[in-house]
Amino acid sequence: MGKLVTEMLKGTLEGIVLAILAVRPAYGYEITAWLRDQGFSDIAEGTIYALLVRVEQRGLVDVEKVPSEKGPPRKVYSLNAQGREYLEEFWRTWSFLAERIEQLRKGGPQS
Amino acid sequence: MTAESNESKSRYLQYLELVLGPLEDKKRWRQYKARVKGLPENYRIAVEALERYLMHFGPADGAGAMAMYEDLADLFEQSAADGIPIRAVFGDDPIEFVETFMANYPLGQYRRRERDRFTSAVERAAGEDRTK
Repeated sequence: MGKLVTEMLKGTLEGIVLAILAVRPAYGYEITAWLRDQGFSDIAEGTIYALLVRVEQRGLVDVEKVPSEKGPPRKVYSLNAQGREYLEEFWRTWSFLAERIEQLRKGGPQS
Repeated sequence: MTAESNESKSRYLQYLELVLGPLEDKKRWRQYKARVKGLPENYRIAVEALERYLMHFGPADGAGAMAMYEDLADLFEQSAADGIPIRAVFGDDPIEFVETFMANYPLGQYRRRERDRFTSAVERAAGEDRTK
């Protein structure tokens, strides 16, 4: 774990975050905290934030500004229809990738 | 920033902007700087360091650049309010964070020009140039 898991997560983090948002709306810090609880301890707040900016710009999530007791209002993200479509595509791609890699492990690229 | 606001501008303002650049951007920039000033000291130092990096490698022009700095202010205001340590915001590799963050915004003119030049050079080398 450690460095390698961070490297391998890079391409999948977007799907992971969208999958979290598919369960319920959340703000950035909640997402990072949840990921840490799940053992992804090296994930930086800024990384998740940059990712949220990206999925917002691509129209995969809806954003609502919710006032908070301390500090500025929080941006709460929820998955919209376009995001759901993208998430399905992500899971299909993930299954394909996981299957092929598992095949490699079991001994070579025969189909 | 909109066409409407442009039409309502006086000639004098139009002339001023010709010389000084859009005044809305200047106002937004001042507001952003005020937000950074309001941050706890270590967060402010971190943002100013990021700002320096972005001045060199990020987009330098237009509303896209301003939106980028405002998003940055959002992140650090939120992080300060939640008490997230600086290292937990940046992670082990600050360069990786800033590059990922930057990639969300339009390229600056200089980068865009060089990328276009590179792409068309490869096209020509690959014999794909259809303009000749």
